[in-house]
Amino acid sequence: MNKITGIVTSALLMSAAAYGQGLGFGAPISSNSGIDISGSWSYGGDQDADYGTAAGAVADYGGIPLNEAGRLYALAWDASRMTVRQQQCAGYGIPYAYYSPGNFRFWEERDPHTQQLIAIHMWFQTSEVRRTIWMDGRPHPPAYAAHTFAGFSTGKWEKNVLTITTTHLKRAWLRGNGIPSSDEATVVEKLVRHGDRLTVFTVTKDPVFLDEPYSKTMINLRNIKDPTAWLYACEDGEEIVGRSDGKIPNRLFGKNPYLREYADKNGVPLLGTLGGGATVHPEFTAKLKNPAAAETEAMAETVPSHGPQQASRAVNPDPNDGEIHVLKVQGNVYMLVGDGGNIAVQVGDQGAFLVDSGEGKLSDRVVAAVNTLSPHPIQFVVNTSFRPDHTGGNANLEAAGEDPSLPGSFFGGQAPTGATGFFQDPAHHATLIAQNNVLIRMEGAKLSNAMIPADTYLEKRRRKYHNGELVEIFYQPNAITDGDSIVQFRRSDVIATGDIYDTTRYPVVDLKSGGTIQGEIDALNNILEKTGYEHDEDGGTMIIPGRGRLSDEYDVAEYRDMISIIRDRVQAMLDAGATLDQTKAARPTADYDTRYGAISGPWTTDMFVEAVYTSLKQNAPSQIRRK
Amino acid sequence: MICNRRRVGLCAMMALISVSVWAQGPGPGGPPQSPKAGAPVEMTGYWVSMVVEDWKYRMLPPTKVKSPPPGIFGGGIGVPVNPEALKVAMAWDPAKDEAAGDQCRSYGAANIMRVPGRIHITWQDEQTLKIETDAGMQTRLFHFGAAQGSGGDWQGVSQATWESLEGFQIPGLGRLSGLGSEKTGSLKVVTAKLKAGYLRKNGIPYSANAVLTEYFDVATEPDGDTYLLITTTVEDPVYLLQPYQTTTHFKKQSDAAGWSPSPCTAR
Repeated sequence: MNKITGIVTSALLMSAAAYGQGLGFGAPISSNSGIDISGSWSYGGDQDADYGTAAGAVADYGGIPLNEAGRLYALAWDASRMTVRQQQCAGYGIPYAYYSPGNFRFWEERDPHTQQLIAIHMWFQTSEVRRTIWMDGRPHPPAYAAHTFAGFSTGKWEKNVLTITTTHLKRAWLRGNGIPSSDEATVVEKLVRHGDRLTVFTVTKDPVFLDEPYSKTMINLRNIKDPTAWLYACEDGEEIVGRSDGKIPNRLFGKNPYLREYADKNGVPLLGTLGGGATVHPEFTAKLKNPAAAETEAMAETVPSHGPQQASRAVNPDPNDGEIHVLKVQGNVYMLVGDGGNIAVQVGDQGAFLVDSGEGKLSDRVVAAVNTLSPHPIQFVVNTSFRPDHTGGNANLEAAGEDPSLPGSFFGGQAPTGATGFFQDPAHHATLIAQNNVLIRMEGAKLSNAMIPADTYLEKRRRKYHNGELVEIFYQPNAITDGDSIVQFRRSDVIATGDIYDTTRYPVVDLKSGGTIQGEIDALNNILEKTGYEHDEDGGTMIIPGRGRLSDEYDVAEYRDMISIIRDRVQAMLDAGATLDQTKAARPTADYDTRYGAISGPWTTDMFVEAVYTSLKQNAPSQIRRK
Repeated sequence: MICNRRRVGLCAMMALISVSVWAQGPGPGGPPQSPKAGAPVEMTGYWVSMVVEDWKYRMLPPTKVKSPPPGIFGGGIGVPVNPEALKVAMAWDPAKDEAAGDQCRSYGAANIMRVPGRIHITWQDEQTLKIETDAGMQTRLFHFGAAQGSGGDWQGVSQATWESLEGFQIPGLGRLSGLGSEKTGSLKVVTAKLKAGYLRKNGIPYSANAVLTEYFDVATEPDGDTYLLITTTVEDPVYLLQPYQTTTHFKKQSDAAGWSPSPCTAR
């Protein structure tokens, strides 16, 4: 102890003695933290004992403010859905992760030089959720960024309360009995420590599946000893051998055989078991005093109402601000957002390789954005279909680009007299590539040569080794059109899907251009044949959709599941002899409309249902039905 | 001033001066603030229960416990009862309670916050926070300072304190435990001297020896919605194998809408 330290210590001791209490240096806390919650905790409450992790009976939704879509989604859920490959190891969302039995742990990440708190990390044992709560004030990512099961969380201390705001969550579960939370949900958590108790209060706001915010409290107890078990690894397998990838277990509306099982076993009125905002409030007890009326109301809730039809409540991931936004995907690949359909850009030591060209309204900005990513000009543009929001920029990008493989080559000097567009000077344009039906349809639409891909392919696969990786273009016959392609960047592990996968709406299955609902489902399954995940259905192969936010395998699987389930419902109605109008009136998409539906615009829910109905009717009894 | 190692002595002295000033209270020579005046958080007003946790047990008419095995996880009923408690629960007879005038047995302090309804929180005086319930028309009094009353009724005797972080934050040095405290916004209430009652409406018992520890916290959402969070531990050497821990929450109302006083019911 040096001289000064000794004096200071003495002074402190004297002062403390004068104050009449003991003295000791407690655990230091940083200037931006409140209570230290580091360490391991376990769910310690006695309440809700029936609902830990994969628990809860079918139609046991009381106290959860489900809206019509959420309730119908849950009632259509079949426990066998969890045998689908992409569901087997799916992660746990927030707040569901807290309900998993076992332990969870917090630990801090601090700047080694300033000791400022950067982040609080979490690990949940049985659900193996990896989570980071950023404490350094960084903003949340844009709406077009990828989602994960743990979402993107930021935190702030207010006295002894840690407030955490989480966005960018995946479609997950609120309870392990099929009660969904959507990828539009936001969760605000309050963590309050009282000694060795940690109260967790969560408020989930989900415009897609909830009537009102879902608030819930739970208690956790601090583990005095470090638990020995921290892992619960998962690897998906073949649980139902021989089942088609296109068959997703589900219950038709009004046909769930287990609807009353929980109610009967527990003596609960059916109305109570179906959840909804009313079940959360004390006044609900009055409703149960008239059993006949409650039963009538309950039965009406088990099938779609007569309307009105619901539109998507999802945030539009496209900023629509006249700018091109660049998002790094992974490896050599970026996603450009802002000019209609998404554009994938792969860069390296060769020219830029693009998938799609957008609407063409902001082509100059697209070119400028590509120039910030690569010193080389655009060399290739693959069109995933002929649709204008993916080909509108063709002429501009082609003109701005260059294909260095052509100058000095045989082809570079062979332009015939009178050639126009690309063929006039192929070496000094980017090369447009597409499946041959794209060329045929664009020619049929009498578009200028500069718009039309000159380099087309006919068979299942086109491939190129470019910018240090294999780029494969796969034909997807009769999906949304008859000329669809997906593009896979092998080393970067990214797939650009075009409109086969669209996070903003139901797939625009264009029957007049050769699309079919079964081809769409097959195409989504083809995508899923090429993907893998990094951890619990997060990350791994990244997916650039035709429109909407960056995604991964699980997101595509959820979309595939939706279309497959809707197909089954429409097929059942067709089998029962329903007309198109009757099918539309039955609202076979009712549980997905608040996420993907539209009641106006270029692609309404009615148009989608009509496409499914007509496609199935045209193909019936085709061998590809329910493949 | 940046407190670096060269300046540690000076910084420490300044910190001690700060502690000294702080220890004198709100102002030179002024009396210490009353619990009401010094309340770190506003809890008064009308609140409505959000019936989410243990929904089935709270919202629906009670059903008699049949024969679950006792256990630390509640033996399937969600309360860590011992065999003696199970016997009592299985013998539950609401008619008998009614005949004895004991319809309020599930409205005692250990369960009243779980009963669906509304509560009204006010300051009865500078030292006493009052909670009234419309369901069962009960009144809880939280006394700051010395406990008051002899208890023996449904709500017992409750002693309240504003919870504090132990120690005092010294700028540049950290927290010195034992040197005063800093209010956090949590209200801690310990309740004892209870009349024996029910932890649930279906007759799961707690004894007169039960002690209830509650923490009340207020959480405000970004949209302004405000919630009251109650973290509860019931310790009962007579009927529980281990402490019974629950959390309950209410949402703030802007007025008395829905306030509907109703007497206790045994069923």
